[in-house]
Amino acid sequence: MELRVIDKTDEELRMEVAGEDHTFMNVLKGALLETEGVAAATYDVNPEQSGGQTDPILSVKTEGGLDPLDAVAEASRRVQDMTADFYDAFEAAL
Amino acid sequence: MTNEFDVEIIERDDRSALFVVRGLTPAFANGIRRAMVADVPTFSIDTVRFVENSSVMFDEMIGLRLGLVPLTTPLDDFEVGETVTLALDVEGPATAYSGDIETSVPEVVPADENIPIIELKENQRLEFEADAVLESGKVHAKQQGGVAVGYRHLQRIEVVGDAPEFDEQEPNILRGVIETEDGELVVTDEFDNDLTQRYPGKEVEVVDVPDTFVFDVETDGSFTVDELVLRAIESIDARAAELEEKVSV
Amino acid sequence: MMIPVRCFTCGTVVGEHWEEFKARAKEGDEDPAEVLDELGVNRHCCRRMMVSHTDLVDVVSPYQ
Repeated sequence: MELRVIDKTDEELRMEVAGEDHTFMNVLKGALLETEGVAAATYDVNPEQSGGQTDPILSVKTEGGLDPLDAVAEASRRVQDMTADFYDAFEAAL
Repeated sequence: MTNEFDVEIIERDDRSALFVVRGLTPAFANGIRRAMVADVPTFSIDTVRFVENSSVMFDEMIGLRLGLVPLTTPLDDFEVGETVTLALDVEGPATAYSGDIETSVPEVVPADENIPIIELKENQRLEFEADAVLESGKVHAKQQGGVAVGYRHLQRIEVVGDAPEFDEQEPNILRGVIETEDGELVVTDEFDNDLTQRYPGKEVEVVDVPDTFVFDVETDGSFTVDELVLRAIESIDARAAELEEKVSV
Repeated sequence: MMIPVRCFTCGTVVGEHWEEFKARAKEGDEDPAEVLDELGVNRHCCRRMMVSHTDLVDVVSPYQ
């Protein structure tokens, strides 16, 4: 996973997340949208055949003074909570 | 913030499982599904050095068949990209089976032993040495550990009234698992996948239960289903941890 | 020629069951549907792999 920030202001972030695909980006986007202080979040990926930009670009917009990078960090934390809980729930059911 | 997940396993053996998960977002359900198919690595033959191949098939055709043979994969002992050497030497008249393949590591062996590789006639011989590589399903479909992995919404059946008395009832086919009004989970096989068998003469409504998914998971034998699911979750977890770390710097 | 190792559609290993299926249903007189059920070849994509397959090694072997 290589990160490359394209645009960054106090409320907006556009960042390339190289080496990832829908598997993780969609989960991350879902978690971002559930995070307080995030006004909008999305990602864009082009298929391999299109040539050019094929790594996903994550766009985040925040409100209420939350730094978008902090929002991403919080969303990643949220994903980890979710995976940990699911891991335990699945193991418990075995 | 805590997530209340509830996992209920309906059917399970080594290579296939059917389970219901409550409290899952669609994005997360799909993430796990995709991770099971493309991100959990397995061993698969990737390079073959033929010593002798006088069979009726070309080297490439045999190479393709070998690649598709599932190999047991102890994921704790190997890193992605590591290789294991295998060899086979069979002389006709005989059939070379996947079980005839010998490996340098006792933990990595063909998961199925009766797959015919090639039938050899009199004076035909197949001898080769091969390298199996641990890679993820993103690289090649032969490296996919999960086979036919899918999920669907859990469907809840509500009886809304009686069917018109003299009408011929149309079959109402559902697959997987359903939830009855009492919250009981029923495998659709029990009533031949046809709701009119379970609720004869009743009019029913089928509604999707939000955030509840029925997963149907099968593996090719490289590892157990439990391992596949847990590894898929771990792979998402590892990426989230990496992102958090990189963003916080 | 030889039974495919895996089902073209779903990727399940079908080669594993071929010899038994051949002995019992193709050469034997059992009902193919029942044999496939017993072998756990459930989906129709996998079943067609077995039902429609013919071994051709004997046919091509004279032409080396």
